[in-house]
Amino acid sequence: MTRIISRAARPCLRRLSSEASTLRGAFSLGAYAHNFSTSDAQHATPGLRSIPEGAQPPIDIAPATKPPSARPIDTRKSQMIRTYTSLLRTTPLILFFQHSNLTAVEWAAVRRELKKALDGVPPVNVMPGAEPVDLSSKVQLQVLRTNMLNVALKLVEFYDPEAAAASKATPRTSKGPIVHDLSKAAYEQVKSAEISPESAYAQIEPLMVGPLAGLIIPAVSPAHVAAALSVLAPVPGKFPAPTRRKNPGYYDPTFQNGLAKLVLIGGRIEGKVFDQAGIHWVGGIEGGLDGLRAQLVAILQGAGLGITSTLEGGSRSLWLALEGRKEQLEEESKKDAPADASSS
Amino acid sequence: MITKFMTEVTAKFNPFSTCAKPARLFLTFLPPNVRANGTVVNTALLPRDSAESSSLRVKFKDGKEMDFNCSKINIKSLVEEVDRHSRQLQKAADLSE
Repeated sequence: MTRIISRAARPCLRRLSSEASTLRGAFSLGAYAHNFSTSDAQHATPGLRSIPEGAQPPIDIAPATKPPSARPIDTRKSQMIRTYTSLLRTTPLILFFQHSNLTAVEWAAVRRELKKALDGVPPVNVMPGAEPVDLSSKVQLQVLRTNMLNVALKLVEFYDPEAAAASKATPRTSKGPIVHDLSKAAYEQVKSAEISPESAYAQIEPLMVGPLAGLIIPAVSPAHVAAALSVLAPVPGKFPAPTRRKNPGYYDPTFQNGLAKLVLIGGRIEGKVFDQAGIHWVGGIEGGLDGLRAQLVAILQGAGLGITSTLEGGSRSLWLALEGRKEQLEEESKKDAPADASSS
Repeated sequence: MITKFMTEVTAKFNPFSTCAKPARLFLTFLPPNVRANGTVVNTALLPRDSAESSSLRVKFKDGKEMDFNCSKINIKSLVEEVDRHSRQLQKAADLSE
């Protein structure tokens, strides 16, 4: 009887024992799990991986998702710095506005009118040869925290993660050096950076005063700039405000109140700092970047024509001179020949 | 800041110079409904390379005009100066009530 039972139970027991072994396997895998990361060794940036001679030994107290940081990581400010550095690194076109005490209703009205104006802009060619992209839904008017933006601007311009990774003083973990934007290395480098008056940061720094809002356009698109300017900072003649008949919402008192409190003070376009006149110039480029490229091609073609005609000109005039001389000589010889014939 | 007695505020600044700070901050000190309450606020921007320093002009209900050169004054003393006159007007208004 017992034998029958044990025989019946054997497959179950065998299965249990095999499960236990796989479970153990899973646990042993778990012990190595801290060495896993989301990017494999080939795809991780090789510049950051190489360890210079005499570098500090890796500290391995921190989990991979929480590398050591010079600033407290769980505060709003630090996360804001990270947001702004990534924004400044990726966004080529930001227009800065001063907003003096707009109410929430006025902000809503301003954003509504802005959206209305941007929806009328056709999709633009972001890259030559690529499909046109509709940017209007991605353009944002965002309130920025001025001081954090100031720090982020400094970080973007004066902090070089590659240089920090190559330096010996940078602390490292087994995953590589700690060179993120909140790291000690970033803090030290920015703190010791000499700000030359020619640098973009020195130019934009005076703007970082008071409440700031940024109009963020994810590509350099003069058409979008022009559309936004015609709503947010209209210039009669160049960027005219929509007419009352075309867009009655523009003359809504809430919006007009909000508009009066928004002042365009400057912009940052592809890392360069522009004032109001510069932004108007960018907004006034006809046909966007394609238009600029067409202009450039036209100029280059014109220059090519000029060069060929000048180069040709020299040889042509030489040819003309020689030809002239040849004819002159021929004429002279003709004149001489009859004279010789008559004398002889 | 007492803005009740101002009739006109004119700020003129070059945002790319450091002396724009007091003028710009003064604008942010005005309450959101200041225009609805009858104060005219004018903002003029100077071009980036202009050497002219920022200025602020405040007109009061009694006709007094205050003109500030923002390169020589900070926002704190600016508010103090304006408030000093506003308080006088406030006192007169309180007495006449």
